[in-house]
Amino acid sequence: MAARRRRRCSRASRRCPGAGSTIRGRALAEFDLDAALSRKPKLIVVDELAHSNPPDCRHPKRWQDVEELLDAGIDVWTALNIQHLESLADVVSRITGVTVRETVPDLVVQEADDVVLVDITPDELIQRLHDGKVYLPATAKRATQNFFTSGNLTALRELALRRTADRVDDQVTDYLRQKAIEGPWGASEKLLACVDADAVSEKVIRRTAQLATRLNGDWMALHIERPGAEGDSGRSARLTELFALAERLGAETLRVAGADTAAAILRVARRENVSQIVVAEPVRGFWRGLSSRSLADALTRDAGEIELHMIPADDEPPRPRGAPRVTLRREGLGVEFAAAAAAVGLAVPVGHGLALLVALPNVSMIFLAAVLACAVLLGVRAAVIASIGSFLAYNFFFIEPIYSFTVAQPHELLALFVFLAAAILTGSLAGRVREQRDRVIRHAAATQTLYDFSRRLSAATSTDEVVWAAVSQLHKTFGRRAVLLTGADGELTLQGAWPPDVELDAAERSAARWAAQKREPAGAMTGTMPCLALLFRPLATARGIVGVCGFEPPALDRPLTPEEERMLEVVLDQTALALDRAVLAREAVKAASAIENDKVRDALLASLSHDLRTPLATISGAASALRELDTRLTPEARADLLQSIDEESDRLSRFVTNLLDMSRIEAGGLKARREAVDVADAVEAAAERCGKLYPDRPVRVSLAAGLPFARGDGRLLEQVLFNLLDNAQKYGGDSGASVHARAEGDEIVLSVTDEGPGVKPADLDRIFEKFYRGGRPDGRKAGTGLGLSICRGLIEAMGGTIVAQSPAARRRGTRMLIRLPVATTPKGLAE
Amino acid sequence: MSADPHVLVVDDEPQIQKLLKVALSAAGWRVSLAATAADALRAIAASAPDVVILDLGLPDRSGLDVLKDMRAFSTTPVLILSARDREGDKIEALDAGADDYVEKPFGMGELLARLRVAMRKTAGKAATITRVEADGLVIDMEKRLVTRDGAPIRLTPKEYDLLVTLARHAGRVVTHRQILAAVWGPAHVQDTQYLRVLIGQLRPKIERNPSTPSIVRTEAGVGYRFMVDGDYQSTSTSRQ
Repeated sequence: MAARRRRRCSRASRRCPGAGSTIRGRALAEFDLDAALSRKPKLIVVDELAHSNPPDCRHPKRWQDVEELLDAGIDVWTALNIQHLESLADVVSRITGVTVRETVPDLVVQEADDVVLVDITPDELIQRLHDGKVYLPATAKRATQNFFTSGNLTALRELALRRTADRVDDQVTDYLRQKAIEGPWGASEKLLACVDADAVSEKVIRRTAQLATRLNGDWMALHIERPGAEGDSGRSARLTELFALAERLGAETLRVAGADTAAAILRVARRENVSQIVVAEPVRGFWRGLSSRSLADALTRDAGEIELHMIPADDEPPRPRGAPRVTLRREGLGVEFAAAAAAVGLAVPVGHGLALLVALPNVSMIFLAAVLACAVLLGVRAAVIASIGSFLAYNFFFIEPIYSFTVAQPHELLALFVFLAAAILTGSLAGRVREQRDRVIRHAAATQTLYDFSRRLSAATSTDEVVWAAVSQLHKTFGRRAVLLTGADGELTLQGAWPPDVELDAAERSAARWAAQKREPAGAMTGTMPCLALLFRPLATARGIVGVCGFEPPALDRPLTPEEERMLEVVLDQTALALDRAVLAREAVKAASAIENDKVRDALLASLSHDLRTPLATISGAASALRELDTRLTPEARADLLQSIDEESDRLSRFVTNLLDMSRIEAGGLKARREAVDVADAVEAAAERCGKLYPDRPVRVSLAAGLPFARGDGRLLEQVLFNLLDNAQKYGGDSGASVHARAEGDEIVLSVTDEGPGVKPADLDRIFEKFYRGGRPDGRKAGTGLGLSICRGLIEAMGGTIVAQSPAARRRGTRMLIRLPVATTPKGLAE
Repeated sequence: MSADPHVLVVDDEPQIQKLLKVALSAAGWRVSLAATAADALRAIAASAPDVVILDLGLPDRSGLDVLKDMRAFSTTPVLILSARDREGDKIEALDAGADDYVEKPFGMGELLARLRVAMRKTAGKAATITRVEADGLVIDMEKRLVTRDGAPIRLTPKEYDLLVTLARHAGRVVTHRQILAAVWGPAHVQDTQYLRVLIGQLRPKIERNPSTPSIVRTEAGVGYRFMVDGDYQSTSTSRQ
């Protein structure tokens, strides 16, 4: 544990990483986060909190691993050198001259449950270094020379002691507050850092963070976006970086648009109850001096109660990360130089030619035209270059003495400078118009794209269509691979991709899962698995995560431009909403059909209850009337009541039999015999039963002569015929019913026909469904809805078929056709 | 013959019609029959029966519609007779102006007792009742005095209101909603828990045996019924 020298040890007992599991077996093993998570220890000791992970790890930094361990409920003890604290990075680099790249956000340390300072004198530490107790000898020597000098170590030691003291101080304050001990608390401080895309702003941010820590106050970073400045992608990338830094240091960040920077800052400051404002000190320089000074002055004048801090700019050159921007600009200027030179070069002969042909009062108009052309074609910068070029060329070629830069007449000199001013002015104006037009065109194109997209989405009715619209839109926006996964966390499925054959590997899948679980971006350019090519963003709605969208960013070395970001956000939001809508629509359909089922079941229960209770009501009513009214009943009344009891008992019995038959058929427990049946016997028995029930309604029977036996179950066939006759009488009106039987090939065809109004064609099959009831002509309630389904069940059990035909004859009536196989028993045997 | 009370039976089941016709005639009622909602409304308007027995499931429209329509022109007592056992239907019918209900299957004695109670309403308006007696309990509404076997009972104002609300409809079921509206006001018709608590307080003060109440009976899921001497229920349990 030599490396624990001079380091603040932070112990976060909320949760921590498991180092022990990973070292096993490997000499220089990287910390295996997943193994640690799966072992679920109570406590993990992790050294070097500021360590940078190799590129194939899930997180680029070890402190992110630690966060994940904490989130998983594991306690962590870890160690950190003071110079790795983010807010101290610039102080450290100023003291030691070494830029520290491995930093840990202050928030990580602030949230630790406990911090223990490991202190040692500089001399002792250097001695330990020499003894090889900290680094290997070779490294140690370099380290001593560069970093571990006595002076540096003393300064770092002071930083560490003070930081720890600050923290202890906070704890004392908290304690006193909790105990409600009186003391000079003072209102809590709120600081505001004014951020612009310049080099000082980073320092402003760091200083504000330090101040806020010392004052134990909150702080925020604010940028005032001046109208017209949005277009510069370099600036906004820089601002994004700065804001990310501020957030790491614990700030709230805010971008506000406003023409008057000072007024906007003060407005935000007053709204947010800011007590101190931190701004960059005005740069003493050419143009910018003016504007910056006026900002500082305006703030000083109007700040009132709010304190102001001015942070001076560093003298050191801008950080290397600014470099690519310069190169880019130089390339850009190359084109503009060339264009300006061409325009001016063309203007010279044209001016000459025209001057020969006509008497031009002022050749400078030609140059002005060239400047305007540059402005319109390439913008402000080209216009300014062309103005200067024209100024020189005009002087050189057209002003006496010709072919020299000297000017003979003083008024010519004046004219020349007026020309220069006019050229720059008009050129700039024209250039700005052009740039604005470009921006408008870009915006219009973006708006159009988004409009098209939302139209496609709103037309999409299924999840698939939404997914397809989203991935093709992402592909169109970034020109690279795009995928979309849907589902709750844990079980994401790849729903669509562009190109369609894209598959995800294990790492990409786990990044997608991570994005869904943590509701944070993962993959390329994020803090989680940045080595992947795809960037995964969760699709969130108010109801939760509906999926994850993955795409390849257009360039890995720069963040998305604000326009791309805006576009992306709209696409993701709309996709999430559309997916959610599709899911909700599906659920609504499901719920509707569930409600429909419930309704059917309710109606069924009500009708069953009615069918059972009506006969019971009659029976019990009649029985109790017989008992209670005993002597008051006439003999006729008594007979009527007894008859009611009789009839209703029969009705109840039929209903119960039907129900039992039905359940037997459904349970497959019905055994139909397959024996030779004389159809005539069954028809006769059924007709007789029906005649008892409906004494006034005739049953006409006609059987073909020499009818063979059918194969089936005589008792069941009689039951079927009775049910059919009962139906025919119930629905067929007063004219009665007819039964007919004949042989047709290997089958016996039986028909029961009524002369009622018939069945609607759509209902011909439905009437065989269980509990389906047709309406009765008199509007009275229909039967139980069981009769026909029982008939079908019985007939099918005997190996026959039954169908309904309607109309039967002369546009009226219903005919039920039963087909049963002829019994194969040879006649000789039967006799 | 005209002295006989006239009952209209509205039911589409021929067997029930036949049964009621026979039994009610024997019990001294003049019985007329209707099988559909339309017939029923016509008969009520034309012959002004003394009481209507109404089935909720009719072929053309529901019995509930008949009830609502007839209440526009008639205050004739209505006894609901229905096979439906769902409380919702009963409550809806009672709140729509039915006077009581009998569930199928029913006993003839019960039906006749309910018919008698319903008829009592026409004899004297509920509001004019000033004194109710039940099982030794006397409620004197003019003096605001409640006594049990001659000894006064102390009731809170709400308990008194509740008891009087039930007593004014003695023999008939009063729904939760009707009680809540009468005692607490129309804003509280959903607060049935108030009612349960109050009933729980009232019973020990007025009942001889609060665990098997004989004066304020619970009609499960529907409401409460104040039982008076001479009611069918008390006859069937124990009556001297």
